[in-house]
Amino acid sequence: MTDEIKAPGPPEPPPQEAGGDAAPVEKPAAAKPAAPKAPAAPKKWEPTGEVVLNAPAQALAERFGESVRGVKSPCGEAGVLVDKARLVEILTFLRDDPGCAMNYLSDLTGAHYPINDKKFEVVYHLYSLEKGHSLRVKVQLEDGEPCPTATGVWPGADWMEREAHDMLGIVFEGHPNLKVILLPDDFEGHPLRKEFPLGGAQEEMIRSNRYGKPVYLPDDVEEARKIVEEQRHGR
Amino acid sequence: MAGDVMGPSGSPLQDVLETHEVELNLGPQHPATHGVYRALVRLDGERVVGMESIIGYLHRGIEKWCEYRTWTQATPVFDRLDYVAAVLNCHGYVGAVEKLLNLEVPKKAQYIRVVLDELQRIANHLLWLGTHALDVGAQSMLFYGIREREAILDLFEAMLGQRLLPNAYPIGGVRFDFPKGWEAVCRRFLEEMPKKVDDYETLLTGNRIWVQRTKGVGVISADQAIALSLSGPTLRGSGVNFDVRKALPYSSYQDFDFEVPLGQNGDVFDRYLCRVREMRQSLRIIRQALDGMPEGDLKGKVGRIIRPPAGEAYFTVEAAKGQLGYYIVSEGAEKPWRVHVRAPSFINLQGIETMCRGALIADVVAIIGSLDIVLGEVDR
Repeated sequence: MTDEIKAPGPPEPPPQEAGGDAAPVEKPAAAKPAAPKAPAAPKKWEPTGEVVLNAPAQALAERFGESVRGVKSPCGEAGVLVDKARLVEILTFLRDDPGCAMNYLSDLTGAHYPINDKKFEVVYHLYSLEKGHSLRVKVQLEDGEPCPTATGVWPGADWMEREAHDMLGIVFEGHPNLKVILLPDDFEGHPLRKEFPLGGAQEEMIRSNRYGKPVYLPDDVEEARKIVEEQRHGR
Repeated sequence: MAGDVMGPSGSPLQDVLETHEVELNLGPQHPATHGVYRALVRLDGERVVGMESIIGYLHRGIEKWCEYRTWTQATPVFDRLDYVAAVLNCHGYVGAVEKLLNLEVPKKAQYIRVVLDELQRIANHLLWLGTHALDVGAQSMLFYGIREREAILDLFEAMLGQRLLPNAYPIGGVRFDFPKGWEAVCRRFLEEMPKKVDDYETLLTGNRIWVQRTKGVGVISADQAIALSLSGPTLRGSGVNFDVRKALPYSSYQDFDFEVPLGQNGDVFDRYLCRVREMRQSLRIIRQALDGMPEGDLKGKVGRIIRPPAGEAYFTVEAAKGQLGYYIVSEGAEKPWRVHVRAPSFINLQGIETMCRGALIADVVAIIGSLDIVLGEVDR
């Protein structure tokens, strides 16, 4: 169970964003025995440092065993990576257990790691107002895989989850009102994903247009979309 | 209400008259919403029965933008989050990077940061007090608030070269020591300010109109406030003792003797009192920091190019609005992989629906004011 989340063996290298040249290299590698950059070890984002387990993390490890693993931290912060299936159970335990008493959800957010096997992480920062200890709880997700909502545990997770949904496209299953919060209603895409260009659709178009000249999009969304599509297909 | 009144035939009036809920749009271009905040309020008569916040008009994609800059280049943009308390935002970010770098900030730099932070907190509370009082109808408070805030901004200008968005701290310490004569001016301000705060309290705290407009309005209980993750004076107004400066001390706050003002009822009045008393405590902290100012370096050992180890850090400071947190992820490169801001205004604004339910429509403006939101920070 643990291995499944951490690293399912060394499978085929994850589809890298700019892996266009990696695939063609693979084919002639059969003819040429000394493949130049064939073992380009699939770089993976992983924190450095040491695993720190404070009281609530140890309580979690005792109670949930395999479903909880420590996360390394370069600055001595306690963090655990938990199984998605038991996430809500674990969060409820952390809130209600008198030894943990982590009743304050300080922050909830996500991050995108296109080079990892599981591309998304949802990160919860919990704090105990009584005991004064903090814990970072993380859960890893595939692209498009829903995450159970924490709104049942802390109502304050409502807007934070909506924001993570806007920015990264993480779907929170069971959220009462998962609609856009910071972006315009008709916005397409999720800006904090790594493949999203900084300048938005405008930049995408400049990059894809044949002459490399800026073309200013009309205000009308339909018109703009048509132009972007045309440019993308080089017509 | 309407059900108690009898119609001409003896039947309740409600049966005779058709009543329905009214949807009222407040903002986004409304002066009392303190920026571009829009609220969709459902009304039954004058009572609020439901409320929906619509935000995002000021979203600038700051978190995305940082990912394309180096760690140092990203610093000034955080001033633009909460633009009336910029120094505190800057402190949160540089603190997070220092935490990830395991960097020791010299004691002197920590004390200078405390002085500037607390000055900024007072400046923020003064502007908040002025505008909040203006919303509720006490116009003259704004003039006093702006007047004293000017004195603080002048101090910032003398030391940092900028008044509003000074990009106060580099990663690792502070840029400058206090310039010559600065400390004397600052001490004079510290001497004068308590009397000014007394004046504000004379104007408002015992004022019957003020009390009637604020007491018992926008109540939120301690349990609700914790469950909604509120922070700062908005949480402490409900009697929850959570101040990051005390709970998770940073930048030598453990050296200073100060109290955390708490409210009891969690209404607009208690949140007001918390902030006003916080100003007095800030003055105490500044005095202690100036008196105990240690000697030493201004900046820790930081390279010209900053490359934190791969990993993540979460660092929070007590900003003027509440707990301001930065979650930063590094892949060991010159640029941040991910920067997330836990913006206190954004999360405090969640509480508004609970506070406004059952309130009068005129009180909604007072409640928005009491949350002390800045839309630059809400929308980021």
